[in-house]
Amino acid sequence: MTTSKVIFYNVLRFFLLILLQVLILNNIYLGGFINPYYYVYFILLLPYEIPGGLLLLLSFLLGAGVDVFTNTLGLNISACLAMGYARPHVIRWISSGPDSLIGNTPSLKNQGMKWFLYYSISLILIHHFVLFYLEAFRFTEFFKTFLRMALSSIFTLLLVLISEYLLYPKEK
Amino acid sequence: MRNLLVFLRKNYFILLFLLLETVSLSLFFNFNEFQNTTLYNISSTLTGALNSTFRNISEYFSLRKTNQTLIEEMAKLHSRLPDAYYKSDAYSFYRNDTVYLLQYRYISAKVISNTTNKRNNFMMISKGSLQGVKNHMGVIIGNRIVGQVVSVSPHFSWIMSMLNKDSKISGKFKKNNQLVNVEWPGGNYRYGSVKEVPKHVDIKAGDTIITSGNSDIFPEGIMIGTISDYTVATDENFNSGTLLFSTDFNSLGYVEIVVDLMRKEKEDLKETFKSQ
Repeated sequence: MTTSKVIFYNVLRFFLLILLQVLILNNIYLGGFINPYYYVYFILLLPYEIPGGLLLLLSFLLGAGVDVFTNTLGLNISACLAMGYARPHVIRWISSGPDSLIGNTPSLKNQGMKWFLYYSISLILIHHFVLFYLEAFRFTEFFKTFLRMALSSIFTLLLVLISEYLLYPKEK
Repeated sequence: MRNLLVFLRKNYFILLFLLLETVSLSLFFNFNEFQNTTLYNISSTLTGALNSTFRNISEYFSLRKTNQTLIEEMAKLHSRLPDAYYKSDAYSFYRNDTVYLLQYRYISAKVISNTTNKRNNFMMISKGSLQGVKNHMGVIIGNRIVGQVVSVSPHFSWIMSMLNKDSKISGKFKKNNQLVNVEWPGGNYRYGSVKEVPKHVDIKAGDTIITSGNSDIFPEGIMIGTISDYTVATDENFNSGTLLFSTDFNSLGYVEIVVDLMRKEKEDLKETFKSQ
């Protein structure tokens, strides 16, 4: 894929995911404990080769895009920055070497189920951990917040896996 | 100097991360100051415009519920009109009415974005400072509590709904006027919690909790909810209970903003008291 095409798809994904998050996912009520933050899929899908500065800047903008719609400026930004910062480290830890990375961007199809699960679970957990604890900001609600974080992470992961299967199906 | 440049180049990723994270955390914790800036007004206008467009489409799906609420409100108001009262000319006498000076005015507004699934929920409404909305005004629907205005731009305002960890409402039992604090503990949006109920107060399931009128935000007697469950503490001085909100926060279409016309007078009085 050419560079301009990569940029185009990422810009498109950036806006689509923010709109999906603030207009639809934020309005879905599932028992009060499940609140998926599917928009982080954008950070998961950035190319491997992205410069660190750009990665952090995009994380910042992504978080800000969601924050202005929920009147919680700083909350999603902090979570996204933590996730963006952790991303290169996570990729380095779980891959056996730079040669083991196939293609431009992380995907279930290229890297296999085990790699992709490690990758997405750890990054989603980092994001959700920062987000839910900063949001509650109370030790008296520690376990309640933990439950919300865990359930929401599972739901976000499910949405990410479903979209991996739907958007990038395995070739036969 | 060269060493410094080498250090910066080598560690720029973590340094940039720390810088941005500091910016974002200070935004998060000093949000109230940021709300007065022009940038905030611009972003509010943009998100407001987008939210209203989306809301214009999605409100068609809840028309039935909106109509139902409006009809109930109308019936309530009809029953207060002079026509609804029994007219007797047999025993006419002169009497000074105790209700004669207007204290509250209401501004109706459309809810254009609303959440109930977060720990701290806010809603955006379609009226702003140009229509007379100001900070710290109470927001109700019918005779039920919704929240309070926390920031205002020219055409839109943000409301901190009852479903927020910073919402602490001063309420009281309708039956005996005992004061209690009402909060939302997170989780299910239908249930709040009642804290600091004195031991001697007889708390029962089904008790009605209304606003106390002690704060300047809500008039007295706005419905908060009914007690659905309670625990009698053995070691502490206060009992606590769970409360079922009268408001269904998940299906709010329209709200009313309470304008207290005597608010300035009250605040001036407090000022003079303080300066003495």
